[in-house]
Amino acid sequence: MPLVASRLGDWLDERTGHRRALHVALEEPVVGGASFMYVMGSVLLFLLVLQTVTGALLAFYYSPSASDAWGSVAYIEDQVTLGWFIRGLHHHGASAMVICAGLHMLQVVIYGAYKKPREVTWWVGVMLLGLILAFALTGYLLPWDQTGYWATKVATGIAGETPGAGVEVQAALQGGNEYGNLTLTRFFALHVFVLPALTFGLVAIHVLLFRKHGVTPRWGRSAEELERRAQPFWPDQLFRDVAAMAVAFAALVAWVLHTGGAGLDPPADPSSNFDARPEWYFRALFQMLKYFSGPMETVVALGAPVLVGGALFSLPFIDRGADRSPRRRILALALVLGGFAATGALTMISYRADGADPELAEREAQSDRLAARARRLAREHGVPAAGGIAVYTTAPWYEARKLWAEHCAGCHSGEDREGPLIGPGYNNRAWIRGMLTTPSGDTYFGRTKLAKTEDAMPETEATGADLDALVEMVYAETGAADADQALAARGVEVFGEQPCGDCHERTGTETSSGPNLAGRGTPAHLRAFIADTGLPQFFGDKHQMPRIADDLSPAQIAILADWVIWLRTASDEDVKRLDD
Amino acid sequence: MADDDEPREGRAPDRRVFLKVATCALGGGIGVAAGVPAVSYLLHPVGGRTVTASTEPIDAIAVRELGLDPVRVPLRARAVRDAWSSTLDVPLGAAWIRRDEQGEVKALSSVCPHLGCAVAFNQPAREFRCPCHDSAFAVDGQRQRGPSERDLDPLPLTIEKGRVLITWVRFRAGGSSRDPA
Repeated sequence: MPLVASRLGDWLDERTGHRRALHVALEEPVVGGASFMYVMGSVLLFLLVLQTVTGALLAFYYSPSASDAWGSVAYIEDQVTLGWFIRGLHHHGASAMVICAGLHMLQVVIYGAYKKPREVTWWVGVMLLGLILAFALTGYLLPWDQTGYWATKVATGIAGETPGAGVEVQAALQGGNEYGNLTLTRFFALHVFVLPALTFGLVAIHVLLFRKHGVTPRWGRSAEELERRAQPFWPDQLFRDVAAMAVAFAALVAWVLHTGGAGLDPPADPSSNFDARPEWYFRALFQMLKYFSGPMETVVALGAPVLVGGALFSLPFIDRGADRSPRRRILALALVLGGFAATGALTMISYRADGADPELAEREAQSDRLAARARRLAREHGVPAAGGIAVYTTAPWYEARKLWAEHCAGCHSGEDREGPLIGPGYNNRAWIRGMLTTPSGDTYFGRTKLAKTEDAMPETEATGADLDALVEMVYAETGAADADQALAARGVEVFGEQPCGDCHERTGTETSSGPNLAGRGTPAHLRAFIADTGLPQFFGDKHQMPRIADDLSPAQIAILADWVIWLRTASDEDVKRLDD
Repeated sequence: MADDDEPREGRAPDRRVFLKVATCALGGGIGVAAGVPAVSYLLHPVGGRTVTASTEPIDAIAVRELGLDPVRVPLRARAVRDAWSSTLDVPLGAAWIRRDEQGEVKALSSVCPHLGCAVAFNQPAREFRCPCHDSAFAVDGQRQRGPSERDLDPLPLTIEKGRVLITWVRFRAGGSSRDPA
């Protein structure tokens, strides 16, 4: 077996020269010896590969269109096997890259590794840092959820303040005059094609330049000492690199498990108020913008990144001496460390300010509840073709409750209503009993004009078993399956004995001074009644309710009738549960 | 990295062997820890039903509109659930429907059993022909010539109040046995 492997290796080596390539790649001496101080570059490379792999995995299920994006991400998050985990790795992996890039930069600055002859390596590194942030900025929008949508709106809004060509810059970025499909396709193309291509290219240059110049060892060591301490890259340094990768990966996995993944906000809703917050690494810039307004705001928003980038770029020129000892480079170190400290301080202030705002916490809790609801509906009913926010329309009784809120609630619920209260339990036995015994009570016709006239229904004089029978008779008209027909038949007798018949007919559409009770509460009756309570068999010219048939279609009225029937057997909890 | 050509003597080489093994073990561990979830994630759709349509029979056409020649009727589902999305009134496929000489209503799937192209009815020859690989079928669906290994697939139907109601089934293309896809 080893013989076969080695002969296969020979065969391949003759054709590819892979042994020499491996040798060149791995056998490089690390002057001054291997060190854990050098691992961050490799960890970043590892994280970049991890982001590439998880990103490609996400693309297997993600759809970059305004109508599909949220639904596809919710599908990854809630239905694809381990989708939440893969997406969590990708989401938090971005944060890990920012942290590691910060540490990498810190090490490079402390060791003075940007100095001659490594200036170009440093510049390429600064560009890569910019690319990492560009990845974050473009990736944030892709789920098309509230956070991504609103935070990115702010970012493109800032771009829209570019002097001279703001409108054009913004339109180029967001793909037109408004956020929509083209915004997503653009951000997607940038995020998965353009930025990775640039990143891989620059990383290749960065690594090649690093190999050309080798590591920057600790300051203050003589050339002989460095030579004497030298160790081979493989395995001495690579072991440390891989160990650091394993630690980074374990920490990332732990964080993903701890947080339950990336989370997903409610689908983007342009009509909502949302507290747009950027990712934590943009918090400093976010906070800084609070201190400026008007033209200064633009100057700061566009100027600060340029200033920071410019300062980093010119660092090799600011700090030109050959001595890499940190004590001799106080100015350069102060500049960078001061930048880190200022960024950290602004970030803290921003989180403190948010933490001290109980109303914000309540709004965020509300948003979380909405997100849970949207995701549950997406799981159970799917997302309609109209897009993410249309997921709410798949909720049970959504259409009915919308129609109710617009056309009925004003008079039939709440404190200012003018008609009978209609809610859970409407038309059940208890409701009917109350209606018969206190027809002009506040929850019945008490607030209508009719109650104040002599046409108002008098309270029934039936009591005890007679009243029970009468209630059952009215209840049986609804067609409820649990109606006691024998008792209802007895109710018909009571109806005859009492003066009910003076005002109420019980069959067909015969008219009388009061509403005909035939089929009262059945779908057909409710449809006709809701459409027009002024029909002669109902209230006739004594009606007060507007003619709903003027405003709604028969299909819409049928939906309302079904809703009212559902209410009969519903409890307050049932109705409340509809909002979960 | 078994082809280690360093001299095996002293403490340093031993340490390096350990480092090499440890490096490969750690690297492999990361690969497995990331690879296993990745594979199960990728295979999520296998064995599941990612596209499902409402299953009630679809109202296709009135019986009295049918003759001896088949007519092509698109069948639309009330609702289709496709991964994350739900869409109303979605075309699923088409049926060729006719009444045979005994007056019985017959429906054939328009999907060619060979490789899934849609067959068309050739009026002069009174046969179905597949435009892709030239399979041909008689008007009752019987295989005449070409690469298809089975007759056109019949679709289950019922007649209600003079209307033909068809249950759409997509059969697996290829082969001689008729299995729902």
